[in-house]
Amino acid sequence: MADYDDFARAQLPRLLRYATMLTGEREQAADLVQDVLVKVYRHWSRISGADHPDRYVLRMVTNGYLSWRHSWSARVIPSGDVPDEARADDFASDHAAREDMWQRLARLPKRQRAVVVLRYYEQLPDPEIAGLLGCAQATVRAHAHKALAALRNGLAIEQMAEARETR
Amino acid sequence: MNIENLIKDTFAAREHDAPDSDAVLAAARQRIDSRRSGLSRPFAVAAGATVLTLGAVTAVVLNRPGPAEQPQIAAPANASQSSQTPTSAAPAAAGLQMPYSLGWLPPGAVAYQVHRINVGSSAAKPDVPLYGGEYMLTVTANGQVLEVDVQQMRMVSADRATFKSGPGQSVTINGQPGVESSVSTGPGGYELYVAHPDGGSMYVNVNAAPGSTAPAQQLIEAGRRIAENISFPGTTTVTPAYGLRDLPNGMRICAFDVTQGMNRPLSGPGTSTSYRLGTCTVQPSINVNSAVGGNPTGTPGQPVQGHETRSVDENGYRQLWVLDAVDGAPIVIAGRVPETDLYDIANRLVLPH
Repeated sequence: MADYDDFARAQLPRLLRYATMLTGEREQAADLVQDVLVKVYRHWSRISGADHPDRYVLRMVTNGYLSWRHSWSARVIPSGDVPDEARADDFASDHAAREDMWQRLARLPKRQRAVVVLRYYEQLPDPEIAGLLGCAQATVRAHAHKALAALRNGLAIEQMAEARETR
Repeated sequence: MNIENLIKDTFAAREHDAPDSDAVLAAARQRIDSRRSGLSRPFAVAAGATVLTLGAVTAVVLNRPGPAEQPQIAAPANASQSSQTPTSAAPAAAGLQMPYSLGWLPPGAVAYQVHRINVGSSAAKPDVPLYGGEYMLTVTANGQVLEVDVQQMRMVSADRATFKSGPGQSVTINGQPGVESSVSTGPGGYELYVAHPDGGSMYVNVNAAPGSTAPAQQLIEAGRRIAENISFPGTTTVTPAYGLRDLPNGMRICAFDVTQGMNRPLSGPGTSTSYRLGTCTVQPSINVNSAVGGNPTGTPGQPVQGHETRSVDENGYRQLWVLDAVDGAPIVIAGRVPETDLYDIANRLVLPH
């Protein structure tokens, strides 16, 4: 299975980064990708014959994330409180803003988060996202709209930006 | 900075959190290996005839007729079967029995890969192997290619099913409760978990292969009908590329894998076969495999059944390559055992003429 090994080694870094963005946790990302690697091995004769095995496996990771165990959503809820806002005069405000956003991302429903990751991390166009998720483009746009609204809710970033400009 | 840029920055800042590739790959390998070789109890002798009814258009025969050719291995045993021992005079490439049979498949030409392995047992049911066997089939008809996957999942009840194709809904198959899911345009196609009377569930997945299309209703009907026609105990046997005979003291075939006609990434014959040999109460000690890639390595060894051999020793893990064994392809016998044991198995290979 030399082909499988080569493929796995080549794809792993990207898959692990992607899974980390989806799950928000290193351990769960590792578990998710491990599961996919095992499945890929078992179905390698089929997957290797696909037009785009890399895209096929990306879809497997996505589906694995969306359909994984019921306890999942409970596990990814961050333990800390979401900061009310990142203060503009904080020297670490950028970091704080990202931490704030990371925790907001963790609170999104899984399908919304998948759309956000695919759109803003993988930078895939909506038609490809729709293909990966097996839904209509309009559904992708709806998920993205809801996700952005949720992420924006109460966010102090605009205030921060204004404050920085007036410094 | 707008919110979209903040999201991008947030993801970029978290890239360093990604797990180590080597560690994940190593863990995956371990799971693959353990799934293939982690055995908890003996298989028993197979019995019974073989019938696998395929579609009406083309039937690829997965079975071998006639009780005279019954295999030396088969299903994980129940209490009454477990005292049986492998037969000592298996005919050439005797059929290998599956734990359950598929009574119906969509019409078309069938390529397949089947597994029969144990992956240990649970503390709650120490005498029941976790893994019962799996059929992975590709059915081709009129330019359409369907992928069918049927697995026995002893540790997954139907009500705990999770789907890659979306939320499930209740269904009843042959009086047994189940859960099914279908997304016509998405991955996963049709999926079904149906309760098994002895616990656990059967999983059926039918989807269009990459590059092929199928209406959702076709997948649904095919998946349900496959599930309705699964029968226990299995009478299906598959024909391996080569066989084994007269295994030495206490050794059994603990697991097998037979592939026929699949698009394997390896060169060689259309059928490949692997066996795991051992006592089946601990990890199998010897692997026998015709699905090997690459060129033979090592030093020339003693001829086996008229075939040249190569011998490799990697820190005590030994391989014996029997060259030109199956349609020009080698068979590799390997394990952390003395080389004489490998030759012993090599001389028990039943090779095609």
